[in-house]
Amino acid sequence: MSERVLDIKGLHAGYDGVAVVRDLDLYVEGGEVVAFLGPNGAGKTTTLMAVSGMVQILDGSITVLGRAVPKLRQAHLLARWGVSHVPENRGILFQLSVEENLQLANRGGRTDVTPAIDYFPALGDLLKRQAGLLSGGEQQMLAIGRAILCKPKFLMIDEMSLGLAPVIYEELMPIVRRIADDTGAGVLLVEQHADLALAQSDRAYVLNHGDLVMQGTAEELIRDRHLLDATYLGGETLEEEPLR
Amino acid sequence: MRYFEFGILGFGTGAVIAAIALGLVVAYRASGVINFGHGAIAAYCAYSYNSLRTDGEIPIPPLPNPVAPIEGLFNVEIFNLPTFISVGDSVATIPALVIALLIAAVLGLIAHYAVFRLLRYAPVLAKVVASVGIMILLQGAIVIRYGSRAKQADRILPDDTVDWFGATLPIDRYLLLGLVILLTVGLWALFRYTAFGVATRAAAENERFATLLGVNADSQAVVSWVLASVLAGLVGVLASPIIGLTPNQLTLFIIPALGAALLGRMSSFVVAAAAGVGIGVIQSVLFLLEQNASWVPDLNIPQALPFIVIALAMILRGETLPSRGAITAGRLPEAYVPKLTRARVSAYSVLIAVSVLIVMFAPFRFRSGMNNTMVGVMLGLSLVVVTGYVGQISLMQMAVAGLGAYAVASFGTDAGLPFVVALVLAVLAATAIGAIVSLPALRTRGASLAVITLASGLAIQEFLFKHEGWFGSADTRNTDAPSLFGFEMGPNSSFPIGDGKIPSPGFGLLLIVITVLCAISVMRLRRSRLGQQMLAVRANERAAAAAGISVAGVKMSAFAISSALAGMAGAFTAFKLGQFTADSFGIFVSLSVLAFAYLGGISTVGGAVMAGTLFAEGIGIVVTEEWFNLNVQEYTAYVAGFFLILTAVYNNEGIDGFQRTQFYNLVRKIRGDRSPTPAATAEEVTA
Repeated sequence: MSERVLDIKGLHAGYDGVAVVRDLDLYVEGGEVVAFLGPNGAGKTTTLMAVSGMVQILDGSITVLGRAVPKLRQAHLLARWGVSHVPENRGILFQLSVEENLQLANRGGRTDVTPAIDYFPALGDLLKRQAGLLSGGEQQMLAIGRAILCKPKFLMIDEMSLGLAPVIYEELMPIVRRIADDTGAGVLLVEQHADLALAQSDRAYVLNHGDLVMQGTAEELIRDRHLLDATYLGGETLEEEPLR
Repeated sequence: MRYFEFGILGFGTGAVIAAIALGLVVAYRASGVINFGHGAIAAYCAYSYNSLRTDGEIPIPPLPNPVAPIEGLFNVEIFNLPTFISVGDSVATIPALVIALLIAAVLGLIAHYAVFRLLRYAPVLAKVVASVGIMILLQGAIVIRYGSRAKQADRILPDDTVDWFGATLPIDRYLLLGLVILLTVGLWALFRYTAFGVATRAAAENERFATLLGVNADSQAVVSWVLASVLAGLVGVLASPIIGLTPNQLTLFIIPALGAALLGRMSSFVVAAAAGVGIGVIQSVLFLLEQNASWVPDLNIPQALPFIVIALAMILRGETLPSRGAITAGRLPEAYVPKLTRARVSAYSVLIAVSVLIVMFAPFRFRSGMNNTMVGVMLGLSLVVVTGYVGQISLMQMAVAGLGAYAVASFGTDAGLPFVVALVLAVLAATAIGAIVSLPALRTRGASLAVITLASGLAIQEFLFKHEGWFGSADTRNTDAPSLFGFEMGPNSSFPIGDGKIPSPGFGLLLIVITVLCAISVMRLRRSRLGQQMLAVRANERAAAAAGISVAGVKMSAFAISSALAGMAGAFTAFKLGQFTADSFGIFVSLSVLAFAYLGGISTVGGAVMAGTLFAEGIGIVVTEEWFNLNVQEYTAYVAGFFLILTAVYNNEGIDGFQRTQFYNLVRKIRGDRSPTPAATAEEVTA
C-alpha cells in the first residue's frame, strides 16, 4: 500500500466560526484517483479550500504529504511542497499569456512546457495567446496542464466539468486517470457528474450538507447507484431504503 | 527657440513627475493601492539627504512624549525625545545618498507592513484614507523638523551647461531625462520578462489563484513597495535643487504624477513616464507662453494643467482601472442612527447648553475655539453625507467652502445684499459647484474619485483663488459682519452680555444655532428615504440600481447637500476672519478636514461633532494647550495623519464608533446580556 498524500481526520471547517463541513474523515493515497461527490452546497469546495489553507480549520486535522496545513499567510508553501489545486473557476490568470500561465508552475521562472503539451497538444499552438481569450475547454486544459508542470505529488481538481460541453469533459476526464497512473500522484476529484468521475476513480466519498454520507470503492458506489441518487434527491430516502 | 529651451528645462519637473508616477504604478500593480503619499516619500528623502549633507543629521519623526502632559501641568521639564541622530559634521555625497535611499526603503517597508498589508481586504475607502494619512503624516513631519520655508538643496548632478541642439542648457535636465528613460525600460523589462514580474502580475490579478500556485503575494508586494519608494526618493534627491525644496512642493507633485499614472491606466510604465515628462515640458512651455504671448489669457494655466490631464485621463480611460480579485472585502463603517430616547435628547441639550455657556462667558481663546469647532462640525457633516453615507471620497471640501466664503464676501459686502440673502446665495453657489464637480463621480468611484477631487481642489485653489482680479487682490477680500433684523452678530460686534471683548458671544450663538440646525438636518437625512438610498448606493451600486434607485441622482444629491454644508462652513469662516483669504481654503486644509472627519467617525453626526472638537484650533485643541500647556498646534497635521492611518487600519468607525461600542459593551455587561452587539449585525459588504 502506497503512502497517504492527504489525511483528513475529524475535520470541522467553515467561515466566521460556523462549520460548513463537520467531522470529515478522508484520505488519498499516492497513485489513486478519489472521487469526491455530493450535491451543490455539500461542502466539497470548502474542504478543498481548507486543505489549501484558505478556509479556517475549526477542529480536527489535515495532513498533506506528511505535514500539517499552514495558515493563510503561509498558504503559498503548499504548492512548493508539491500540492496542486485547480480551483473551481480554474485559476487561470486572464491577463497573462498561456506561456506565462504555464511558467507560474515554477512561480514565473523559466519552465519546460513540453510535459503539458504532451497531454494537451492543442495548447502548443496557443502559447503566445492571452489566457482570457481561450475557450472554456482550452482554459481547463491550460489549468490541468499547468498542474502537471507543477509535478504534484497530490492533485486536487474542483469541478472540472463546470461550464464545459459534455464532449469536452468526457475527453478530459480520462486524462486525470492517466496523470495518476503516469506520475504516481494522488488525485482528489470533485465532480457533479458522478458516473463520469466514478468511471475513472478507485474510491469515492459522498458528502451532503457537510456530513459524509457514503464512502467505498468506485465499484461499490456504481453498484449501489440508487443510494447515491438518494443523497442528491433527499436525505430521508437514504435511511428509509431497506437493505436488499 | 525659447520655447524649445523652456521645453528642455521642463525635463526637471517632468522627471520628478515621471518617477513618482512610475512608483505609483509599481505599488498599484503589486498591492492594488493608489498611494497618495508617494510624493511625500520623495520629499522626506530629499529633506533627509540635505540634512545629512549640511548638518550630518538623520531626522527622527516626532514621537509622542508620554510625560509631556505631566510636564505641562506642573511646569517642569523631565526629558525630551531626540529629534535628530547626528552622524558627524557633514556626510559625503555618496553615503548621504545611500542613507537617504535606505530611509526610502524603510518608509516603503513601513507603508507595506504597518498599513497596506493590514488593509489588504479592506474597502477602497479605507485604503485611500490611509494613504492620505501617510501623505499628511510625512508632510507634517517635514514641517515640524525643517519648517515650511524653502531650503537650499544640495546638488548631486553637475551644474554645467551643454550646447546641444543649438541651445545652451544645463546638463542636469538631460541627465534626469536619461535616468527616467533608464528606469522606465528597466521596470518594463522587469515586469515583462522576469519570474518576479510574472508572479507579481499574477498576484495583482488574483491573489488567491497566485497563492494556490505557490506565489507569495506578500513578498512580491514588499519588494515592490521598497522599489517604488526608492525610485521616488532617488529622483526627489536628484531633482530638488532644480524644483526647490519646500515641504509642499514635492508632496503635491503627487497630483500631476497621478494624472500621468492614470493615463497609463496604472499599469503601463512607458505611458506613465512619457506622460509625466510631457506634463513637465508642457507646463514649462505654457509658463513662457503666458509670460510672452498676449493672446494667452492670464489664467495660471500651468498650475491647472495636472487637473486638465486627470480630467482627460478620466474621460478617455473612464472606469478602466484594472481591479483585483481580493479574497474578501471588509466592512464599511456603520452609519448608526441613534434612537431619540429621552436620555439622548437630554444629553444633546446639555451639550448645547455647555456650548452656549462657553461662547458667552468663557475666556477669549475658549470662545474662539468654540467658534472654530462649530465651523469644523459643519465641515465634518459635509463629509458625513458624501463619504459616510454614500462612500464617495472628497478631497476638495475646503475648495468648496472657499467658494462659499468668496460668494458671501461678494454678495454680502460688495453687492450689499442683506446677510440672510447673501448667505443663501453663497450656499446655493457652493451647492451648484459641488453638483458640477460631482459629474465625474457619476462615472468614477473609489480611488479614482479621490484623485479627481484632489486635482479639482488644487485647480480651484490655483485657478480661481490665486487669480488676480477675480478673487480680489492679494488673495483677500473683506466680509461685513452678519446682521439679522438690524442686530449685528459679527465676531467683533458688541453684545449686551459677557465681558464685551472679541469674539462676540452673538457670533458664537448664531454659529451654534446654524450648526445645530445642520446636525439635525443630517440626522434626518439619514432616516429619510434618500438617506437609505444613499446607504444602498454605498453598499453596492449595481444592486442599488437593480432595486430601482437612481445611482447618479443619489450621488449628485449627496454632493449637492455636502457642498451646501461646506459652503455654509466656508461662509462662516469668512465671517469669523472678517475676510476671505485663499490660504484658509488650501488643499492641505481639505486633507486635514478629511483626516479629522474620519478620525471622529465618518458615518455619524456624533463623529462630525468629535471632528469639530479636534479640528485646527477647535475647543479640544484649545483645552489641551491651555490646561496641559502643550503646543499641539504645530503637530496638528502630523498627529492627524498618524491617527488617520490608525483609524483606517484598526477602527474605521472613528472615535464616535469606538466610544459607542465601548458604551454598549458596558451596558451589556451591567445587564448580563449575551446577545450579539448591534455592530455585528450591520451591513456586510462583499465586492
